[in-house]
Amino acid sequence: MMGYQNKVLRINLTEKKWSTEPLNMDWAKKYIGGKGLGIKYLYEELAPGTDPFSPDNKLILMTAPFTGTTVPCSGKLAIISRSPATGTILDCSIGGHIANEIKYAGYDAVILEGALETPGYLYIKDDAIEFITAEGLWGKGSHESETMLLEKYGKEAKVLSIGPAGENLSTMACINSEYYRQAGRGGIGAVMGSKKMKAIVIEGTGGVKVHNMPKALQRINEIMREDTLTDDNLWAYTDGTAMLVEMSNNTGILPTHNFQDGTFMGYNKIDSEAMKKARAGKKACGGCALGCGNFTRTGRGVVEGPEYETLALCGSSCGIDELAAVVKFNDLCDDMGLDTISAGNTTAFAMELTEKGIKDFGLNFGEVESYLKVPELIARNEGIGKELGLGTRELAKRYGGEDFAMQVKGLEFPGYEPRGSWGMGLAYATSDRGACHMRAWPVAMEAYGDLDPFTIEGKAQLVVDMQHSNAVKFSLILCDFWATSEAYMAEVLNLITGESYTEEDMLVIGERVVNIARAFNMREGFTGAQDTLPNRIFNDALKSGATLGKKIPKEEFDQMLSEYYQIRGWTTEGVIGKEKAEALGL
Amino acid sequence: MGLAFESEKCIGCKLCEMACSASHEEMFNPRLGRLRVGSRYENKDLVIEGHVCILCGSCADACPTGAIEMKGGRLHYSKEDCINCGVCVDVCPESVIVQKEEDVGVCDLCQGDPWCVKSCPHGALTNKEVSSS
Repeated sequence: MMGYQNKVLRINLTEKKWSTEPLNMDWAKKYIGGKGLGIKYLYEELAPGTDPFSPDNKLILMTAPFTGTTVPCSGKLAIISRSPATGTILDCSIGGHIANEIKYAGYDAVILEGALETPGYLYIKDDAIEFITAEGLWGKGSHESETMLLEKYGKEAKVLSIGPAGENLSTMACINSEYYRQAGRGGIGAVMGSKKMKAIVIEGTGGVKVHNMPKALQRINEIMREDTLTDDNLWAYTDGTAMLVEMSNNTGILPTHNFQDGTFMGYNKIDSEAMKKARAGKKACGGCALGCGNFTRTGRGVVEGPEYETLALCGSSCGIDELAAVVKFNDLCDDMGLDTISAGNTTAFAMELTEKGIKDFGLNFGEVESYLKVPELIARNEGIGKELGLGTRELAKRYGGEDFAMQVKGLEFPGYEPRGSWGMGLAYATSDRGACHMRAWPVAMEAYGDLDPFTIEGKAQLVVDMQHSNAVKFSLILCDFWATSEAYMAEVLNLITGESYTEEDMLVIGERVVNIARAFNMREGFTGAQDTLPNRIFNDALKSGATLGKKIPKEEFDQMLSEYYQIRGWTTEGVIGKEKAEALGL
Repeated sequence: MGLAFESEKCIGCKLCEMACSASHEEMFNPRLGRLRVGSRYENKDLVIEGHVCILCGSCADACPTGAIEMKGGRLHYSKEDCINCGVCVDVCPESVIVQKEEDVGVCDLCQGDPWCVKSCPHGALTNKEVSSS
């Protein structure tokens, strides 16, 4: 099939050897690439029960047929592993230009196996691969490391790197690229750290061929004009995700003081208008027509972002209403190699434990000085960081507060209050990697849209449909900010590959991907029992604004979940039956 | 008509380079694009750079075989006449002539309808009237 390089680079870090092999095209036809194909590879290759930090765990960098082409919003890379934070499957996506570079180097995927004996990094230039010592890099921030590597290899090289958080195996460690782009969640950076891999530097000088270039070039350009650069998507360019701060506050779903409230007094100091005053430039990922990245400067602080999730978790949820403080916290997390969602959420949890007198971490809502010390303490595994770095679930096990440890399966909540969008609660509970906003995003239709947010009616079907759509999107690799249809997805895939996928095929593939992820998790012992939410969502009413008095009654949540299983054709315990697995051709 | 680049409108997506290589080389490969446009972070700042053919004619003047000619306000390239000496690549002040294995890639403005301009999502690249100085 065109659009693929038909080559996988497999690297054994233990033996410092590498080999190439053809991409499994039978799997590619069924799972396309990115998320889906990466999970399929891991499902087939990883022995059940493999410790995420064992050398036997794998780190898979997976591109897709759209990668490296002019398909709008196609510049992201999927990184797949077993998560040390949750024990579930973990697929993250990272923007920038690294995905394109892997494809130009001639590979669809790079599979990292084993572990280096001493810290090192990889340099890949087309078919030349070098293992190099990370002496002089290990222990340094991700930003300084990237700068040093670019000085050595030139400005065209692309870098994936981890910070001290990944080196020290924090389960909220991320992988960085281009300073401010992250594969953020589930401790993916700690998997890289466990392999003693500080960085991967890639340069690719080749190209990507497609089925019918003149036709593809012409039609993809038309599609960019008619379906990407439209009012539905251009918010990403004009505002970026910061636009959601005001929308969330107005609809009462802006996490505030560790999800004790859904509106924040100081929201307008950290919203899109505040961000625009500090904007110093725009930056896109490779092939992206939208360019959501806002380069922000507040005094001496700079960052690309903060994105909405950071503004919500590290801003309002921590009671912080100073944009400069959030910018600084964001920059520190990026440099230290920490996921801002889990780091912000856990900081807010520690603030509430302190507030309630359960455990004094010396952190208080709205207090900037102590808050700004957190990222480095977590990343360096020092002081209170030793405990905060464990995340909310482990902290709650030690000190209590399980009811308001805002996590699912060990992954902290992103920035949407489920009590103000009940479908979002189901999305968090059933996401393949714990509480995640990228598997389904029903808030778009609920709090931000026309659907009644305070009912379970129709929400199970909505979440199922959105999960399928996003699963196929992340397998083609398209960014979720291009709100396109399955019809366009199929048309573009056919332009690139020369195959004849249909709109329906897209949804079947989406469902297959959701199910292979579920099958992976089932094999690791997960059942429906873990598809739940912290008790705060069921028991505590929100305190102000549009969500005043709202909670999700537990029995209604249970009903929504059971409808979800029924629609999915899973058992009442949330298990995929044999029949379903066969029908989907897992 | 000639290409113009406005850095403040550029988001660094590389669609221009990819479309250029696709239209001329039948593959997506920014390194084969006959322009160099992009952005990166350096010293805590966002650096945006764009280099396009400025129609200065240095390549045509330097070409020893007449393989590159300036005709009707555009560069014309003849692969048959090219001896691949690389002189044009060396003299191009914008470094936008691509050295390939057997020949070179010179911006021909896509015969008047440049793909880089068509692919630019935010108008950073335009095809404008230029004074014939």
